[in-house]
Amino acid sequence: MAAKETAIQQVIPPAKIRFRASKFRILWYQVACIVGLFAAWEMAVRSGLAPVYLYGQPSGILQKAITLAKDGELFVHLGLTAFEAVTGFLIGTTLGSFAGLSLWLSDTVARILRPIIVAINGVPKIALAPLIVVWFGVGISAKVAIAASLTFIVALITVYQGTQEIDQDLVRMMRSLGAKRRAIWAKVIIPGSVPWIMSTLRLNIGFAMIGAVVGEYISAKQGLGHFIYNAGALYDLNAVFVGIFCLMILALVLDFILVKFEEKYKW
Amino acid sequence: MVNKPQHSVLTADKVSMTFNGGTDKEVIAFRNISFELYEGETLAIVGPSGCGKSTLFNIIAGLLTPTSGSVSVDGEIVSGARGHVGYMLQKDLLLPWRSVLDNVTIGLEIKGVDATSARNTAQSLITSYGLGGFESALPKSLSGGMRQRVAFMRTLALDPKVILLDEPFSALDFQTRLILQGDVKRIIRSRGKSAILVTHDIGEAISMADRVLVLSHRPGSVKAIHHIELDESEQDPVAMRRSTRFNQYFDQIWENLDIQIGSAA
Repeated sequence: MAAKETAIQQVIPPAKIRFRASKFRILWYQVACIVGLFAAWEMAVRSGLAPVYLYGQPSGILQKAITLAKDGELFVHLGLTAFEAVTGFLIGTTLGSFAGLSLWLSDTVARILRPIIVAINGVPKIALAPLIVVWFGVGISAKVAIAASLTFIVALITVYQGTQEIDQDLVRMMRSLGAKRRAIWAKVIIPGSVPWIMSTLRLNIGFAMIGAVVGEYISAKQGLGHFIYNAGALYDLNAVFVGIFCLMILALVLDFILVKFEEKYKW
Repeated sequence: MVNKPQHSVLTADKVSMTFNGGTDKEVIAFRNISFELYEGETLAIVGPSGCGKSTLFNIIAGLLTPTSGSVSVDGEIVSGARGHVGYMLQKDLLLPWRSVLDNVTIGLEIKGVDATSARNTAQSLITSYGLGGFESALPKSLSGGMRQRVAFMRTLALDPKVILLDEPFSALDFQTRLILQGDVKRIIRSRGKSAILVTHDIGEAISMADRVLVLSHRPGSVKAIHHIELDESEQDPVAMRRSTRFNQYFDQIWENLDIQIGSAA
């Protein structure tokens, strides 16, 4: 039996068994997909199959992007949205993770708060918009507040869930060594929740951007959300797409930073 | 061993445990279990599955309170887990984000021993028991046998009165298990520790223990206690298995266990 397995391994190297394409080929396919999509889009518009006022046009989008980039307007919007999202993300995720970790300390408190947390989580955050505007006005702080409140609740729930998934036998082992609740929290629960904190970070980048953009939709003078909303009102679809692609690029960049961060801190 | 005046470090006095099955139907795990653990000896507890070995283990560790009777260590009745015993389980329960060294020091850290002396204690254990060079390795990069060694060192670092071993080798492959049985036995002896080994493996019980206590089917009670006397030449867990006395003990304990083949749970 053992000899047979070895023989099979010799015939088919492990890398082949998983059917994994090389990094380079993946990148090549990714580029091909995007280029193909844009080419098809451009052709559909040029041949008159798709009207430009409904779908925009890649060449037009590019032109628009260059114009907006040249006069710097695009970067003002992008920078502002990025600032709002990242600030809200940092505040909400930090406080939420800490709250989630702390809930482990008291099962009683956790059980009292459970229905409240579920209820708050169930409310579409946009419904809170009037409150946020009343409390924080229409400036940057309102967008940060929306992004922070969204990410707070996600971090709280995910990280608390993480503390509950930690092997109870580890906790028992610590107790048998004479550890008190606080020591177990510091030495097992917090480090053991790191993978959940990491996954909350990546989830929350998306939520923070939703928060910032939704805030700008409601009322703003600048920011990508405001820019997209305005362009849409003017039926300038190319500009709408410029805004959407900027959001995508921002999401990719932030995710990339988090992946690097995760690689550094995972155990 | 036998000739020395025997001082008891742990006493189980008529320990009984009854579980309330929830439907008013009580389940008696075991009743009136009494035994002594003498200083420097290793006592193995074997029994058929479902006889309450693990429950008894948890009571000795202070994680469960018996329905009646008591367990005392050095004359003091065990109540609550207070680090009076060190234990080692089937799962190594190493903290995956801590290095080997930091896993060994954790008990000392909890006790409030200063970092330098904790590191020194851990380092000397690691060096003397064959894991030198792996101090900064993370548990995931170690083999199952090495991980159990680290778990054992974590137990030893606290220098507990009594060491409880609950099937500590059952997740390991056969060769690793035999090697570890030999090493753990040697370390326990050389440090003059007293130990209780809970196992379902008769061979393991005979090769590691000075006495083997056999529990009966549920409701469990003490069925027999065997004194294991093997020569130096038979001490090695591998060589031991060739000796006629080993096989006699094996047959006796097997008979005590009264396992019906095919009906085992």
